[in-house]
Amino acid sequence: MSAPYAPTERAADPIEAHVAELAAALHGPAREKDRMLAELREGLVDAAADLSADTAPDPGPRTGTTPDAAHEAIRQFGAVADLAPGFQRELTVAQARHTARGVMLVVPFLLPCWYVLATAAGPAAERLPHPAQVLLAHLGGTAAATALAAAVFLAATGPLARRLPTPDRLPLLVAWTGTTAAVALALSALTLTLASLLTANWPLSVLAGAVTIACHSKIAASARACRRCARLPVAAPA
Amino acid sequence: MKASEVRGHLDGLLLSVLESGPLHGYAVITAVQERSNGVLELRKGTIYPALNRLERLGLLRSTWESSGERKRRCYELTDAGRRSLETERKVWREFTAAIGSVLEPAPRPGAAT
Repeated sequence: MSAPYAPTERAADPIEAHVAELAAALHGPAREKDRMLAELREGLVDAAADLSADTAPDPGPRTGTTPDAAHEAIRQFGAVADLAPGFQRELTVAQARHTARGVMLVVPFLLPCWYVLATAAGPAAERLPHPAQVLLAHLGGTAAATALAAAVFLAATGPLARRLPTPDRLPLLVAWTGTTAAVALALSALTLTLASLLTANWPLSVLAGAVTIACHSKIAASARACRRCARLPVAAPA
Repeated sequence: MKASEVRGHLDGLLLSVLESGPLHGYAVITAVQERSNGVLELRKGTIYPALNRLERLGLLRSTWESSGERKRRCYELTDAGRRSLETERKVWREFTAAIGSVLEPAPRPGAAT
C-alpha cells in the first residue's frame, strides 16, 4: 500500500518521515493501519502539490512538490501528537472488532466439537471421564457467554453506533472478553489432553485439544493486541 | 471559524459534500473549504479518521482507485448515509431557527415604536 519510493528518497522526504513517525505512534490491525496511513500520505502529497503549484517555478520530479510545500502541507494536516489520538481511536475500535469477530467465529465452531466428544454414545471406555465432561460443560458455558458478548460488541461498534454512543471503555471490555475466551479455550485444551490419557478414544480428544489450542493462540494474540490498544490515549469522536 | 467550532457538525459536513458523488479524502477537505469560502478551518489530517468512522457506521462506503502509481480511497454515501444527512439537515434547521429567534427576535405585533 505504501508509495514505491527508494529507501534513501523515503528518508529525505518530509512527508514520508511524517507518516513514518505517525506509524510508529499507532497500534492496531496492520491492514487497517496501512490503509489509513496510505490515505493520509496521498492527501499530504496532494496538498503539497497544490501548495507547490502556486509558489514554486520548478517543483520536484516525483510528486511535483517542493520541500517547503511538503512542510506546509504537514503543518496544515497537523502534528503527530495532534493526529495520533484520532487515528488511534479508529484503530482501537478496529482491533476490538477484530477480537470480537474472532471470538464469535471460533467459539461456536468449537462448542459442538466438545459437546460431541463429551456426550458421544458408545462404550464407557470411549467416553470422556465424568469430571472432564463437567469441566468442559462449564468452560463451554463461559466460552458461549463470551461469544454472545462479542456479538453485542460488534453490533455496538457497527450500525448501532449511529444511535448509541460507543463507551470509551468498550475496547477494554472486548479485550478482557477475548482474554476470558482464550483462557477458557486453554483450559479446555488441557482438559481434553489429560482426558485423552484416560479414554480409549484418545486420538479424537487429542485432535480436539490441538484444534482448541490453535484457536486459543489466535484469540489470545488478538486479545493481547486489544488490551495494548485500549490503554493508548484516543480522541473523542468529532 | 476554528476547527473546535466545527466539532459536532463534522459528520454532516462530510456527508453533505459527498452527496453529489464519490470523492477521495483530500477532495472532501477542499470541497468543505470551498463551499464555506474558506471560513471553516479544518485540521485536515483529522478528516481521515472521521471518514473511516462514518464508513464503519455504514454511512459511507469506500473503494480504492488507481491513478498511475498512486492509489486513492474514494468515498460515497450509502442509503443510510443519505438518510442520516437528511436528519442532520433537519436538526440543523431547527437549531438555527431556535437560536435565530432568540438572537434576532421578530418585532411583536402592536408593540409601541
